[in-house]
Amino acid sequence: MVSLVIPSDISFVVLTAVTIIGAIIALQAKELIYGAVALAISFIGVAGFFTLLDAPYLAMLQISIYVGAVVVLILFTIMLVRREQGEETNPRTDTPEGSMGIWLAGLLAIAISGVVALAGTSLPTETPASNLTVSDLGPALTLQYPVPLIVLALLLSASLLGALVLAKVER
Amino acid sequence: MVVFPPTTPAELIALIIRIITSHTFITIVIFPGFIHLTLVVIFLTWYERKLLARIQLRIGPLYAGGPGGLLQPLADGVKLIFKEVMVPYKASKPLFMGIPLMLVVLSAVPFAVIPFGQHWVIANIDVGLVFVFAMTSLFPSMILIFAWASNSKYPFLGGVRSLFQQVVYEIPMWMSTLSVVLLAGSLNLVDIVNAQEKMWFIVPAFFSFAVFFIAIMAELERLPFDLPEAEPELVAGWYTESSGAIFMLIFMGLYMKLYLMSSLVTVLFLGGWWGPAFLPQPVWFIIKTLIVATFIIIPRGVYPRIRVDMLIKIGWTRLLIIALGNIFLTIILINSGLLASWGI
Amino acid sequence: MVALTSYLIVSAALLGIGIYGLTVKRNAIRLLFAVEIIVNAANLNFAAFTRYMNPPQISGQVIVFYSIAAAAMEAAVGLALILVAFRLNSTIDVKKLNKLKG
Repeated sequence: MVSLVIPSDISFVVLTAVTIIGAIIALQAKELIYGAVALAISFIGVAGFFTLLDAPYLAMLQISIYVGAVVVLILFTIMLVRREQGEETNPRTDTPEGSMGIWLAGLLAIAISGVVALAGTSLPTETPASNLTVSDLGPALTLQYPVPLIVLALLLSASLLGALVLAKVER
Repeated sequence: MVVFPPTTPAELIALIIRIITSHTFITIVIFPGFIHLTLVVIFLTWYERKLLARIQLRIGPLYAGGPGGLLQPLADGVKLIFKEVMVPYKASKPLFMGIPLMLVVLSAVPFAVIPFGQHWVIANIDVGLVFVFAMTSLFPSMILIFAWASNSKYPFLGGVRSLFQQVVYEIPMWMSTLSVVLLAGSLNLVDIVNAQEKMWFIVPAFFSFAVFFIAIMAELERLPFDLPEAEPELVAGWYTESSGAIFMLIFMGLYMKLYLMSSLVTVLFLGGWWGPAFLPQPVWFIIKTLIVATFIIIPRGVYPRIRVDMLIKIGWTRLLIIALGNIFLTIILINSGLLASWGI
Repeated sequence: MVALTSYLIVSAALLGIGIYGLTVKRNAIRLLFAVEIIVNAANLNFAAFTRYMNPPQISGQVIVFYSIAAAAMEAAVGLALILVAFRLNSTIDVKKLNKLKG
């Protein structure tokens, strides 16, 4: 039987490119809305990573919450906060905190990558056999970790009320 | 003998024939894949015009050719392809051209998980229902971006209205499917249909069916939830500035979404492909889906447009409460054992 | 087969991009983009580790579930704050939003 299985290496490389390039464009694009679209594409890339990591429910959740709700909120805010002049007059690269930020970001990323790469064989290279399914998430959420669930509900109500109060127009 | 990679032309032909007749290729390209989707979407445009015409005591498309004007969508397509695509002044060209294509793609992708028969499903994933949810939740943001990219006030107003409406009605839509998931015990769409072998889920989850039906009419922006496309006010809503091939793509995307929502209703509530055995399973599925699509199209010729405050009130309060009530009712029904004779 | 280190390097790269965005950019909405990128990097990290454990645990997925929900809420409140700041100061340039009064 002819099998056309795409090896996971190719999809990993493609997803890495999509995610990282999307994140870079999101921060560097001139127009904020192009940045928001690139951010949405980057989120879809991360959802693809979740699918590769045998967490399909998380991938769907990532798409529906991040791209479906957070990006919509961001788009609304961008449209309500329009300014006449250009978006970025001069970024803070010349100031001390700007250049320190670039050094910090670069060195941190390289340091973490170096540590991880040097760990070598102590980190697993083969995916272990997994018999986790989607239906294992339910009992884990409600029976094993019920307190974070209730705290999350309270947090949701608090943030809902907070956003409502903040965005109310003063008369 | 099929050899990969092929070395002689005979082996190449054998490989091609083997691929074309494989089940995967048939499901992706022919049924329920590209060809079937395109044909059904084209048929639905004709069907809607004929149905609305009969409701409004006229005849509808008649002269384009074929019996009863069946080639009318073909004539429409050819006309739209040859029309000039006008991009508005200072509109953002990549977004303006790219998003209608994304709309069609996004309406077509959830069909990969919808089962048309016991083995007629392209991808039998364990989270099928949540996959459809994720894909439909991408629509409001794309419509908003397209409306913004049109750089004109009618589309922008229409896009904001459409975003509000779709975001509000997404919640009762997916809360009402929770009753179905409880009854079936799985998020997999094939399992949900298999659990309806003895009794369709419309019987124990009738209120959920009602809520879902109303919510998808609002999702599809059909009358009476026609506010984003209010013709006397907004010309054509968020796709005012689209013309030619762009409009054709958006049109196809909208009708594909109609077909998608109708087939969702069939899968979740009307027993999918189960029916007496004298017709094959996919035929039963398509018959049920077309009946649901008929009932979605009919209110367009009958009801007036709903007001925006009534829209929000119905979406946030009434439908959500009915859906939640039905979830509780389902839990009571399951635990009381009344549904045991039907295998739940 | 993809090794665990590849996922961690992608996560570290996203973290670097996010920190760059947080420190260098002046537009408040871009700072929010950067925060969301950092949260995504952390979620990816959790999901990768929980898959490569032997035997794989479900608790990593639970953590990511909560993290996605909490980050969505934080984005909502953050955007409301940006709206209020714009309404009061007519600018969202964080260099200019340096007075607590008003």
